[in-house]
Amino acid sequence: MADRRRINGPPGATAPPIYEDDSNQESSGFKATRTRQPNTIRRMYLKTGVTPSASGSAYLEVEMPGKSGASGLKLSCTVHGPRSLPRSSPFSPHIILSSHVKFAPFATKQRRGYLRDPTERDLGTHLEAALRGAIIADRWPKSGVDIIISVIEGDQDRGTAKNQADDSWEDMNVLSGCITVASAALADAGIDCVDTVAGGVAALVRDGSDNGKTKIVIDPIPSEHDKIEAACCVAYLPSRDEITNLWFKGDLPSKEAGLYQELVEQGILASKQANRVLVECLGETVG
Amino acid sequence: MASTQHVLLSPAELAYIHASLSLSPPIRPDGRTPTQFRPLVAETDILPGTNGSARICFADGTEAIVGVKAEVERTPGADAVYDPDHAYDTNAGETALEAGQSDWVELSVEIPGVRDDDSGVAFLSAVLSEALLADGAFSARLRINRRFHWKLYLDILLISPPLSYPLPLLSLTTHLALLSTRLPRLKSEGDEDPFFDDDWAAAPHLFPRHDTTTTSRPPITLLVMAAGRNIVFDPSREELAVADVALAVSVVATTAGTGKKGGGRSLRLLSVRTIDPPSRLTPPGVANEANSAYGAKAAGLVAGQGQRQPEARAAEAERVEGVWRAPRGGSKAGVLAALVGKVLEEGGVVDEVLEALEGVDLG
Repeated sequence: MADRRRINGPPGATAPPIYEDDSNQESSGFKATRTRQPNTIRRMYLKTGVTPSASGSAYLEVEMPGKSGASGLKLSCTVHGPRSLPRSSPFSPHIILSSHVKFAPFATKQRRGYLRDPTERDLGTHLEAALRGAIIADRWPKSGVDIIISVIEGDQDRGTAKNQADDSWEDMNVLSGCITVASAALADAGIDCVDTVAGGVAALVRDGSDNGKTKIVIDPIPSEHDKIEAACCVAYLPSRDEITNLWFKGDLPSKEAGLYQELVEQGILASKQANRVLVECLGETVG
Repeated sequence: MASTQHVLLSPAELAYIHASLSLSPPIRPDGRTPTQFRPLVAETDILPGTNGSARICFADGTEAIVGVKAEVERTPGADAVYDPDHAYDTNAGETALEAGQSDWVELSVEIPGVRDDDSGVAFLSAVLSEALLADGAFSARLRINRRFHWKLYLDILLISPPLSYPLPLLSLTTHLALLSTRLPRLKSEGDEDPFFDDDWAAAPHLFPRHDTTTTSRPPITLLVMAAGRNIVFDPSREELAVADVALAVSVVATTAGTGKKGGGRSLRLLSVRTIDPPSRLTPPGVANEANSAYGAKAAGLVAGQGQRQPEARAAEAERVEGVWRAPRGGSKAGVLAALVGKVLEEGGVVDEVLEALEGVDLG
């Protein structure tokens, strides 16, 4: 389906930019490496009530440490509703949740179109599953709520253009940010939830500096590691100790099922840390 | 969306199904054991115009067709003029080319009655392609030489209405279609323009079957759900409607050596995703004590209750045995780990399914 209503950029005829490596940095052995502890997430900034026209909104920013020219994650979320469903729609005993995740055209290295592509729809489905577990949906029969997230900057290191195929790992970071920011916006809109839900990512990485041994880090930045073997994004409700959404991807032998459980546990740890920021931010708004 | 489509079951029916699935051992509506799949009819090589195709029909009437088409495509960047200033770029490119890339496989899912930009369809195709591309070994098979590769188009069609969540059906059909896929035999050598044998009978399979070394198979994705303390495989639509939690787990099996059937098979976990269970959208039941038709006081008369919706009252009431309430919140990490553990179990359902699929005549 072509988008004929707007003036679009050239449809894929441009060559993607290939950046030259900075030869000085290359020769001095410069490579972005992880300086954080393996069990700490990046610092984040969260603020609710940024969009006055929406019933609830939040803005999340995650820093990208170290390198200049690198952008972290910037997300803006608006919640519209709860509002009554149109007369034509069938009766629903629950609130109808519809979530939209959209990357801004300039958010990633590859330009995104105005229409949502399959990745964005997929992220939207995950987000919906994560939030549906948290919302007390039966308090609003016959109503609907729209959750709209725009990704202003995707979590991509623009300095490294060489390994372009590896960008799918960043989707997990984006999803975990989406869950956290949507949860804050839902609380800002005053929609009843069983608990605040926050996202967390953990990854099993293999680094040349560790003699090829694998280790688990939370909140990974793909460009800082040689290879990511597996990663896992969880949405977690801390007070009930429950997971509402789980997304694991990678390649693990079945003999190492313990490693999988460890990844999920570390994902929960990351989510707990994000949740602390979330609770503090909501406390500021109330107080 | 396919997984959250409206289920036309009353709260009493839902409570009954959930209670019988929570028994030990569970009693399923269609009388299967918890690990048993629905009976299926499978055939391969049904479409003469494709490189490989398969059709699977489940006993409940859902049916899927998968066609695999391959095209030769130039690998971008490999023809770049050698430039001494960018020598390291070419080196870096070479390792990337060995591995194969994820855009060499294009997968499309079509489900009748659902728009092709529906997020449920995008989710299904993301699950299937994620499993295929997770280990990078599959796209590496598509490499012809440094300058050319095969581009594989997988067209997955559900040709019946989606009576149950179609993920396991689509995954098994894709698995069979890839097993039957053959690519023309390469006659040229090295990096020259590819030139193929025109004898179709000589075309080798994409996944060679009688290999002396390790044999790998395309991945399969299983749907598994928990109800009460029980784990149930391949849930039907009614069962999924009462699921506490549902997971799509993708695994790939590698068999070491030529050994006997099932010997030395080792599984690798590729992806796990929670499926939003339709049970969250089911209407709650009302207990007799709270129902005014059975002598309970009307809402307005109960002190402190105020004027509230009857559905809302039902939802806030205490949980009563035998009265259905949609699950709220998530699930414990232990439950999810048990679900994945059950899939990866040695000699479990995955082995059974793979053995059954190996029995299908590939023509």
